[in-house]
Amino acid sequence: MNGQAWQRRWDPFREFQREVGRLFETLEPLQTWRQARQYPLVNLYDAGDRYVLTAPVPGMGPDELDLSITGETLTLRGERKRSDGVADESYRRQERFAGRWTRTVTLPDRVESTQVTASYAQGVLTITLPKAESARPRQIAVTGGV
Amino acid sequence: MSLDPHSIPVAYGPSARENGHDAAESREPAAQARAYHTPLIDIHECPDGLVLVADLPGATDENVSIQLEDNVLSMHARVSAPAPEGARVLHEEYRPVDFYRSFILSDEVERSKISAELKNGVLRLQLPKAERAKTRRIEIKS
Repeated sequence: MNGQAWQRRWDPFREFQREVGRLFETLEPLQTWRQARQYPLVNLYDAGDRYVLTAPVPGMGPDELDLSITGETLTLRGERKRSDGVADESYRRQERFAGRWTRTVTLPDRVESTQVTASYAQGVLTITLPKAESARPRQIAVTGGV
Repeated sequence: MSLDPHSIPVAYGPSARENGHDAAESREPAAQARAYHTPLIDIHECPDGLVLVADLPGATDENVSIQLEDNVLSMHARVSAPAPEGARVLHEEYRPVDFYRSFILSDEVERSKISAELKNGVLRLQLPKAERAKTRRIEIKS
């Protein structure tokens, strides 16, 4: 339930890369290699009464994105096609991801799955997940005493 | 949200930037002032020349600039934070960092006819072939 430890796999490079990144600003070979393992990358934020997940998935149409939620498991699916009518042999360079992708995210707490909304703008998917009533922090009044 | 591609002007020559950078800055303001990501790109040939496609998620047409100086084509996109105000980060796999990448163009590209458009965070640059570099069919007279 603690957000701190949420979904953080042991990753010895994480802090290292952050520090090195600060020194050299860009360390692309390492970063690209690490990012290649999962697509898309996601960020998750706690905005008080809701969680907000953002994922850069450029070059998709909103109708090409498929999102589903079951309990605390959010699944993002999509397929990014190559440019139409471009033969493989006419590519001089190919770095961008193409093909089907699936990303499953386990949320840190329960959400109101019927009230989840998603928007797509400038190639970034933003999903807003209101926390379940029981999962929200509640102020408890203390009574009694003199 | 608009799904129509927007065309982005290509700036020619030095310091033709319009988005708040002063002329004292050099050709690579992003590289010097802030951390930046190198956007992933595809380049493919088409009958009229080359097409360069770059992923710039989070970029809007106002904050993408493309500049051609001498034979160096550079693209820079300013990206704002995706996080809602005051939200606490629980998990972060990417950071909202500007995009910057530059390319050296060959003489085969018709410099004055480069065009660019941005749609859904993908930039598409058309680099037409110069007339003299086009393949020409040579008729054989019998």
